Amino acid sequence: MPRHNACDDFHRTSEAVRRDLLGGAPLTRRQVLAGGLGAGLALYTAQALPVTRVLEAAAADAAAAPNAPVLVSVFLPGGVDLLDTLVPLHDFGRYADLHKELRVDAEALAGGSGLGLHPSLTRGLNGGVRGLFERGKIGFLPGIDYPDPDLSHFHSRHFWETGLITERSAPGWLGRWLDRAGNRDNPLQGISMGYGLSPVLRSGRAPVAAVASPGDAGFWMRNVWGEPYKEAMATYERLGHGPAGSRALEAARDSVRLAKGVADRLAPYAEEDGRDPLASSVPYPAESDFGTRLRYLAALISKPLGIRVAHVDADGDFDTHDNQKSLVGLLADVSECLSAFQADLEARGVSGRVLTLVWSEFGRRPEQNGSGTDHGAGGLAWVQGDRARPGIHSDYPSLSQLDGHDNLKVTIDFRRVYSSVLEQHLGADASSVIPNAGRLGRVQLVR
Amino acid sequence: MFRPSPADTEAGMAVPPTATDARRRARRRRRRRGWSEAHVRRLFWRAGFGATPREARHWARRGKRATLHWVLNGGPSPAPHIRGARVDGHGLQPKDEWGHDVLWWLDRMVRSRRPLQEKLTLFWHDHFATSDQDTPLMLAQNQTLRRHALGSFPALLRAVTEDDAMLLFLSLADSDKEAPNENYARELMELFTLGRGYAERDIRHAARALTGFRVDWDTDGPPRCYYEREAHDAGVKRIFGRHGRFDWQDVLRLCVNHPAHAPFMVGKLWDYFVGTPIPGGTRRRLAAVYRRSGHRIKPVVGEILAHPALYRKLDAPGLVKSPVVYLAGALRSTGQGIDRESWAWLLEGMGQVPFEPPSVAGWDWGLAWLSSNSMRVRFDVANYLMDTPRLHVNDGSTPSKLSPRAAVARARRATGNPWISGRTEAELVRMARRLLTERKLKDGEWRQDKQERADMCQRALRQLLLCGPDAHVH
Repeated sequence: MPRHNACDDFHRTSEAVRRDLLGGAPLTRRQVLAGGLGAGLALYTAQALPVTRVLEAAAADAAAAPNAPVLVSVFLPGGVDLLDTLVPLHDFGRYADLHKELRVDAEALAGGSGLGLHPSLTRGLNGGVRGLFERGKIGFLPGIDYPDPDLSHFHSRHFWETGLITERSAPGWLGRWLDRAGNRDNPLQGISMGYGLSPVLRSGRAPVAAVASPGDAGFWMRNVWGEPYKEAMATYERLGHGPAGSRALEAARDSVRLAKGVADRLAPYAEEDGRDPLASSVPYPAESDFGTRLRYLAALISKPLGIRVAHVDADGDFDTHDNQKSLVGLLADVSECLSAFQADLEARGVSGRVLTLVWSEFGRRPEQNGSGTDHGAGGLAWVQGDRARPGIHSDYPSLSQLDGHDNLKVTIDFRRVYSSVLEQHLGADASSVIPNAGRLGRVQLVR
Repeated sequence: MFRPSPADTEAGMAVPPTATDARRRARRRRRRRGWSEAHVRRLFWRAGFGATPREARHWARRGKRATLHWVLNGGPSPAPHIRGARVDGHGLQPKDEWGHDVLWWLDRMVRSRRPLQEKLTLFWHDHFATSDQDTPLMLAQNQTLRRHALGSFPALLRAVTEDDAMLLFLSLADSDKEAPNENYARELMELFTLGRGYAERDIRHAARALTGFRVDWDTDGPPRCYYEREAHDAGVKRIFGRHGRFDWQDVLRLCVNHPAHAPFMVGKLWDYFVGTPIPGGTRRRLAAVYRRSGHRIKPVVGEILAHPALYRKLDAPGLVKSPVVYLAGALRSTGQGIDRESWAWLLEGMGQVPFEPPSVAGWDWGLAWLSSNSMRVRFDVANYLMDTPRLHVNDGSTPSKLSPRAAVARARRATGNPWISGRTEAELVRMARRLLTERKLKDGEWRQDKQERADMCQRALRQLLLCGPDAHVH
């Protein structure tokens, strides 16, 4: 396995930046205001604030910047195959050689790119992912990876999650952006849809939230009600404050406080008497948890909650070592869910400010191993949404000139994509989040 | 029907009482120096699923050596007698009913007289994480992990490599000389034995050496794997700089004897039990113990459990309880057996379902367990615990004249005397004072209101002891 000590992002940065990468840099009020949330946010004490302040902060966020852009990160776990997803029809002979049994019948995309899409990507509303591309709402990034790719799921995923080529623990790249540009009081500014918090959103000090089901984020206590209930919940929240003798206890206190803050903020959107304030007018696939997470997210983005960045995991496992055919179902789910998400954002009138970045930790070896494909380099990502610049934004890797490990050559660094999205969509200073962003170059991803 | 064996009761060796009473008492005093109930509770949480008040008292008297000996080897003890699992009036059907596999293992954790064996089985399940396979295969693998939990690592590694669920999960079954699949070779080195210190070529050659396993799908039950010499690549491979016609057992031997293995393995065990960074010297010493023992697990774990680092900051626990440890610990320390299916889906809500790790790397341990959402579900766990016979507070059952301090003490006894910080205790007393102080309400409602408030106060205190921030660290 290649080692990354020599080019470790952590080692290449200055001491000041390192502190920041590890979540230790204190925010200043000026940074918050410069971060684009607008004036009128009288935030800020070093201590955690009571719930009323959390509510005010979320409302203030939303009111101060009702049109603030939202970035949604969607992860396809396991390493999705480039060749069978965005199919190299321009080199079909070589593709058919490499994927003797696996190759899929793809129809060419309009625009003369010489590429086709897996047939499952037509599934869903308005022609699915293919329909989105044809309507000019998707920009593909074939060959995406980083120099000297590491074929471990866990290393590669960690690099993508942190935006750093380092094996050290570090906050996620969007968590670091919130540390700089977010606020100290609104956990919903960074929201992970699911049971746990995505490492992409892990922050140094900005509060962030995980929400599995907004309808039941609220608390209850068995056979305790009225004044005693209020008193008990106030005590529960107070237990979340104060100094702690260990990081573990501090983290437990933080999450008690955040859970209470999230519950209070989402209380108005709980289902009541069969009426669901978050109901969607767009049909999502009935049996898909991924679809459900996106449906909740679209609804929450449309409410004044101050959501700025979000993360959603797709279902299933794209690690197709011995079952490449499972892509048929996996990509169908992706296509159905993402097309419903886009239609829903449009129906709610918020699609103009949401950009979605779909990614996976690596690509797969171009030559099949029998019934599947092993870990490889040069994968696939795409941006989608009203603001996405449509087209193919990186070179398709050559199928005949492979790297020294018989893998596809990398044609675009994912950190270049991160830097571009930070600047073009979130209006951030990319170099404050991604080390050496200045040297990575940019690609136009937002129209 | 599948019948789980009862929790282990194998008799270990008790410390033989040979000395005279006076000499024994003197020796006991010496042993106990620097060994308190707080030490016992720390050890029992780290090496198992918590200590009951009775266990804490008993082992604090017996001293560190005797306690560690029992933890490692078993034997007579005042471990709680907890009723075996019954759901809706029936025993569990782990192979047939949804969630019963999870409940079956949870039941073992709660009732086991060898908590360390269950804790290490959980460690190996995370280390050799396997998922998505037929339940009978997963349960068979679980028994394999338990059998080897404290034994020889090479034997464990061989058993896991040949295990049906693993062969299917990491695509080693049907990886043959025509098209070797790298999946197992890569995780074998990265996750199971080395962490680092190998090259991409080692993986590819190891994949060739590991070929030969086949799978028979035409069975009455779950698929069965077997070895077929003809499917094996018998050619020469080069792994870690050595040439040979290696087969799968050779690859495992090469990995275990690789210089990176011992430091990797003892470091991972250290992280599981201690959590603070392992000092370089300690790592070297533990690696030497591990190698000298012929790569046996018990001697290393014994050294780790005896290490002073495990007992630092007894009043500021530094490890986050995983959801399984949190739940099994709460049940065990309140003496409550498995009596409902709810625990299975609550574990899912907290983010840790046994037999379903999220990937081959297992779960993300540590602070990652604590999201705003999982904390919300842990609160719900306490709601369900408050519905169990030992914690339930019936209307009118709480003495209405308790002082706030006495009310907190009563709630602590009911919840198994869990550790709480001084700050938390002060907040709970403050809450009790506010709830128990009489307020003038409507005429004629005075007495009832007071009793109702006493009951509710007791419920709220127990709830917050079960799911306040202090309950999630050990």
